[in-house]
Amino acid sequence: MSALSKLIAVEAKLFLREPVSLFFVFALPIGLMLVFGLPQRAGTAADTGQHAEQTFLPSLALALTIGMLALFTLPMALGIYRERRVLRRLATTPVQPGLLLVAQVVVNLVMGVLGAVVTATAVRFLLDQPAPANFAGFVLAFLLGVACLFAVGLLIAALAPSARAAQSIGPALFFPLLFLAGAWLPRDRMPAALAAVADYSPLGATVDTLGAAWAGANPELPQLIALAVTAVVASAAATRFFRWE
Amino acid sequence: MPVIEVDHLQKRYGEKIAVDDVSFTVEQGEIFGVLGPNGAGKTTTVECVQGLRRPDGGTIRVLGLDPVRDRTEVRQRVGAQLQESQLPDKVKVWEALDLYRSFYRNRADIDELLTDLGLAEQRNTYFQKLSGGQKQRLSVALALVGRPEVAILDELTTGLDPQGRRDTWDLVERIRDRGVTVVLVTHFMEEAQRLCDRLAIIDKGRVVAIDSPAGLLTRVGTEHRVYFRPAEPVEDALLLASPDVTGVTRYGEEVTVTGTKDVLQSVMSVLNGRGVHYTDLRVEQPSLDDAFVALTGRGSRTAAQSPTDGRSS
Repeated sequence: MSALSKLIAVEAKLFLREPVSLFFVFALPIGLMLVFGLPQRAGTAADTGQHAEQTFLPSLALALTIGMLALFTLPMALGIYRERRVLRRLATTPVQPGLLLVAQVVVNLVMGVLGAVVTATAVRFLLDQPAPANFAGFVLAFLLGVACLFAVGLLIAALAPSARAAQSIGPALFFPLLFLAGAWLPRDRMPAALAAVADYSPLGATVDTLGAAWAGANPELPQLIALAVTAVVASAAATRFFRWE
Repeated sequence: MPVIEVDHLQKRYGEKIAVDDVSFTVEQGEIFGVLGPNGAGKTTTVECVQGLRRPDGGTIRVLGLDPVRDRTEVRQRVGAQLQESQLPDKVKVWEALDLYRSFYRNRADIDELLTDLGLAEQRNTYFQKLSGGQKQRLSVALALVGRPEVAILDELTTGLDPQGRRDTWDLVERIRDRGVTVVLVTHFMEEAQRLCDRLAIIDKGRVVAIDSPAGLLTRVGTEHRVYFRPAEPVEDALLLASPDVTGVTRYGEEVTVTGTKDVLQSVMSVLNGRGVHYTDLRVEQPSLDDAFVALTGRGSRTAAQSPTDGRSS
């Protein structure tokens, strides 16, 4: 087996041996949906606007899965690898330490996709939500959202001075992003200026484009572009600033 | 042809000169020590040899290759154990070996390696459950899994208990017996004295001396000492009459006689010749510690215990 496939296999095993990350990916999004989704399903929710959209909650759950992997587990794992000098150790072998980053991203991506499938299936059957109507648009929005959030996660890993710092920066960024996505206050009730920023924030744009495609519409092009631009800029900065030791 | 040639190596970090002027050669099949206090430039020197850092001056050849330009080839043939390098908590011993093995062209047999390093029973153990000595042995195993021609071992025994340290020394000798040339970076004099065929003493970024441990001792001319407590008085002049004796000092009832390596015979012949009874006789041979102090003008022990971390050196 090649070095990269071995690295991916080992990283996958390490991921699966960590109950916390498994909980983040497979249990938490479904749990949140059941808690918040059931009242809505019972028809007691009198909300209008963003929160009333049937696809808002499942889109938010998917964005949560990606966001937690990208902003919590990925930067922390890389921070630990740097602190423990695993990256340095790899540099003494014929293999480039960058391969470990690739392996980490691949494993987190695969887990993200698996988590999304599990969550979407749960939504489908537990909440009687239809499957995504515009499937191609849904996949595109999902991939761009993943690219954008993972790039931000890699940037955190690059800039955080320690694993502990990465562990705090991730959530410190995640919750404001979640707020901007409209998790608490629907975006239609935010001040116009804030809502405008929120529409193009990583989680906001991800939730909107996923939701639109789920409902059968085309995702808004400017939001897709915002995700792509953020992905490119953040990953370029991460590459530029990444420290190996 | 030497396995490693370092010629007038220089390396700076910003304003700070880590390595000022270091030259040495390492021959095939020897255990070569790089010895010096923390911050002397030992680790920087071997990191340049591994191609992890680009020298600011001088040249390095490893197996006839340039470690920076031919980095992949050098890394195929040189195994390294890094100071303070760890693995993820939940990786199993065999998984780590299997992974690192996949990076190399020449692959060692994992079970054989585990048995050789006394880790056979830990095959399925998580890294976090290993003892300090076991972690260190695994680290060495990872350095050997690509069947290297040269193994660079950096501060191998730091943090190990005395038993773990002695086990690790046996291990280094077994590595050499496999035909691997070993470069051993250490600040423990005892370790260098026990293991190294030759060693370079580095201090403040410069080579102070290169020799065998015995050669270094001869070179600095450190004296042997004999201590004893005579039952009846012995005159200094009787002891000093021998050409092997260079000095006599007394602390209370204890007499200390210094001199050449034959000083013990001289003392014994005086004591036995006069029928003087004595107790608490002991002999102190010069150690590399003494040679180090003589060569660098400072104590290695204080240097070894200084809180500054040698990591960036």
